[in-house]
Amino acid sequence: MQPVIELDHLEVRFGERIILKKLNGTLTGRAIGLLGPNGAGKSTLINTLLGFHQPFAGTARIFGKDIRTEAKSVRGLIGYMPENDSFIANMTGVHFVRLMAELAGLPAEQAMERAHEAFFWVGLGEARYRQLGTYSLGMKQMAKLAQAIAHGPKLLFLDEPTNGLDPPARARMIQLIQEIRDRGELSLILSSHLLRDVDECCDEVLILKDGRIAASCNLEEERRANRKFLELETRGANGTFTAAIERLGCEAAAFPNGRMKLVMPDGVEIRQLYALAAEQNVQIRRLNHKRDSLEDIFLKAMEAPDGGL
Amino acid sequence: MAVFKHSYKGYAGPLTPTWSRFLILPRYAFEELRSKRFYSIFFVITMLAPLIFALLIYIQHNLSVLKMLNVREVITVDARFFMNLLGWQSMMAFFLAAFVGPGQISPDLANNALPLYLARPFSRTEYVLGKMSVLLILMSIMTWVPGLLLYILQSSLEANGWFGHNLRIAGAIFLGSWIWILLLSLLALALSAWVKWKPMAGGLLFGVFFVAGGFAGIINLILRTRWGNLINISHLIGAVWTSLFEQPMHRGSGAVFFRVSRAEEIPIWCDWMALLAICAFCLYLLSRKIRGAEVVR
Amino acid sequence: MPEPRIVFENVSRFYGEVLGVNRVNLSIPPGITSLVGPNGSGKTTLMNLMAGLIRPSRGSIQVLGVPPGRPEELFRKMGYCTQFDAFPKGLTGYQFIYSFLLVHGMLESEADKLTREALERVSMTQAADRLVAAYSKGMRQRIKLAQAIAHRPRVLVLDEPLNGLDPMARAETIALFRQWGEEGRHVIVSSHILHEVDRISDQVILLSHGYVVAEGEIQGVRSEVKDQPMQVLVRCDKPAVLAARLFERDNVVEAKVSNDGKGLLVGTRDADSLYLLLNRIVLDNGLEIEAVAPADDDVNSVYQYLIGSEGGNA
Repeated sequence: MQPVIELDHLEVRFGERIILKKLNGTLTGRAIGLLGPNGAGKSTLINTLLGFHQPFAGTARIFGKDIRTEAKSVRGLIGYMPENDSFIANMTGVHFVRLMAELAGLPAEQAMERAHEAFFWVGLGEARYRQLGTYSLGMKQMAKLAQAIAHGPKLLFLDEPTNGLDPPARARMIQLIQEIRDRGELSLILSSHLLRDVDECCDEVLILKDGRIAASCNLEEERRANRKFLELETRGANGTFTAAIERLGCEAAAFPNGRMKLVMPDGVEIRQLYALAAEQNVQIRRLNHKRDSLEDIFLKAMEAPDGGL
Repeated sequence: MAVFKHSYKGYAGPLTPTWSRFLILPRYAFEELRSKRFYSIFFVITMLAPLIFALLIYIQHNLSVLKMLNVREVITVDARFFMNLLGWQSMMAFFLAAFVGPGQISPDLANNALPLYLARPFSRTEYVLGKMSVLLILMSIMTWVPGLLLYILQSSLEANGWFGHNLRIAGAIFLGSWIWILLLSLLALALSAWVKWKPMAGGLLFGVFFVAGGFAGIINLILRTRWGNLINISHLIGAVWTSLFEQPMHRGSGAVFFRVSRAEEIPIWCDWMALLAICAFCLYLLSRKIRGAEVVR
Repeated sequence: MPEPRIVFENVSRFYGEVLGVNRVNLSIPPGITSLVGPNGSGKTTLMNLMAGLIRPSRGSIQVLGVPPGRPEELFRKMGYCTQFDAFPKGLTGYQFIYSFLLVHGMLESEADKLTREALERVSMTQAADRLVAAYSKGMRQRIKLAQAIAHRPRVLVLDEPLNGLDPMARAETIALFRQWGEEGRHVIVSSHILHEVDRISDQVILLSHGYVVAEGEIQGVRSEVKDQPMQVLVRCDKPAVLAARLFERDNVVEAKVSNDGKGLLVGTRDADSLYLLLNRIVLDNGLEIEAVAPADDDVNSVYQYLIGSEGGNA
């Protein structure tokens, strides 16, 4: 499968400061998460890939095209949803997205059709004839998404897409992103501080720290590897329950409020836990396989000494 | 019966040619201008002077009218005639730039829309070119296009190879217009990029023209020199036109508001250099503001 | 001595004709209290009322006994962190905090000590001497927080404090909140990130269209929402069998098999007996359970029920 992004000793400097330090790597996922603490270089990386900064040394390739020599061609394949507000206040929604689509190369009639389609698809159908300056924050975010996809890019950059959105709007945005990912014949790169956003949308993550790649891993594989780790929330359990579980062969750790974490060895089944619960009249109110793998991966990456990959 | 589900689809159709994309910007700008009645009226007004001048040319060649007025000629149609026309139209162009110019770039910068332009296969140069084209096209229609049309009218009425003998005038109309409209567009765009409030940007355009002219005079007086004129745009344009139209260069030569201010001349190439320097400075100002991402040290 | 509280008594606030909050009655105990609601529901209005930045159109407010109309007293006890990203120009991070502390009337040495402590708390000591204008968004957020906590207030009013913070900084800041909550301070936080709200809050206040729609501990709030049966999601291999057995025992009022055929969403009026029942059914029928989770025992679901997905202004 053709790699989406290849980083080739990419180095970016602002004057004396080195922001991105010889990044090397290949990203092939359909949805790639970009994580990292503030100042790690995420925005700089995105801006460099978009051609807003020139690399000091090295280069990168998007779908095989070099960003230094074929910058314009690269940008023809990209859709960008910036983190900050980005609109023209006295234009109507549709007018704005039309303009942006035409600038991306679409003929005028196609641009018109797709602008309307994009607005309906993000849920702003009713508001598309209103001026962008009158939109609420959530609507502006959706309009930003509309302009990023109207021209049918092959690679979508989403920078903090759920920024400032209230919970229903955030859920809608995540749903839209998942839909694009599944059906849109494109790859996307999602940069966010909210691990949950990345967890729900991405299958590969790239973690930056101090301008270097601190970790790069495949979430799908991690999720599959977590089958053995269980988390329980119980009511009515006491030490006897924990002891009984341990006698089965599991490693168990009990926490306040009835929470427990278990590691189940091969051969032990969940049904056996239920047998114990039935015996001791314990309610198992919650049971799930460990879900916060991304958090662990992230924290581990942050603790690793510099330059670890 | 079929039920249609509308979901997101990619785009696989044809694309427009890359070289012509900068023209998208003037197209959108014109759509917007056409919707405002003010501009339509303004354009009609700008065509008054050419109409009057055309009438004068016509009367000049109309024997019956001349007989009626009992004169040999009403007006001499020569280089000065065309220079005067250019002067009037250029003044109108100035007003146009003050009205239309400020609204070109500042709305894009006000809410950070520029990265969206530049995240597309669209370069900074194309952006500036596109925005300039809005003004260049409109101002061309106001300056050298009527100028050359009137030249052709005069040639056809005058005959006797007037066209060939006076090609210098046609060249002067063309070049003189372009130097003015280029300068004006760059100034207007630079102000639009740096000044957020549109009325202020328009006002500053007037300021650069008139106030700088005043300062030039002060500098000249205080320093007892004539080099102050190099910041007086009115003088610079007046001088350049006077030389292009091959008119005698003295104080007051030029057209309408574009007057040469002192007789002891600064060599004409200095005037040209000053104009180019102003253009270059505006381009520099634009390059500072038109960026995909700001770098904070 | 009675527990110190923040009390709102019949408070309303209008901006001209536009409603900010209407007839709010609250008594907020110490600990971490989260304000949750769509944009425009009145969260910032409520916080500004608490801080005395705006006056109520009607009603009265007391913060630990001090009415917000007396800022000299109030701000000794309160720290406020706004959601807006604006700073006085030309100040470094250190100067920003230090100068505000001087306004409290402290000696310079005291102010210096407290400033350094606050900077340490938010891990900004290194960047303290750079201009705030040169900070990244996350750094500005942390400096704002430092300014709010520097004078060790008893009440902290924080409007979207985690906005723009990376996951580590979030975790650290949350740990900080927990610590303060345990120390008996009032920590009032507004947030959109509901799973975080779930994890950290002692009590929640839900706002919608300027009205308080619910307040209290989240489990308590959930059990008050009587017209909705408790939803529990069970992922197993034979959901139909499970459903049949549950219906036989007259415990669930509704059951829905999920789209992929491997899960069952049940609604019950008695969660405790449901779980005990589940133990038996699993054993008797040889079910393979993959996961069990209460589907609506969290802020998110209460939010859905009480505010809904169109609850905000469009």
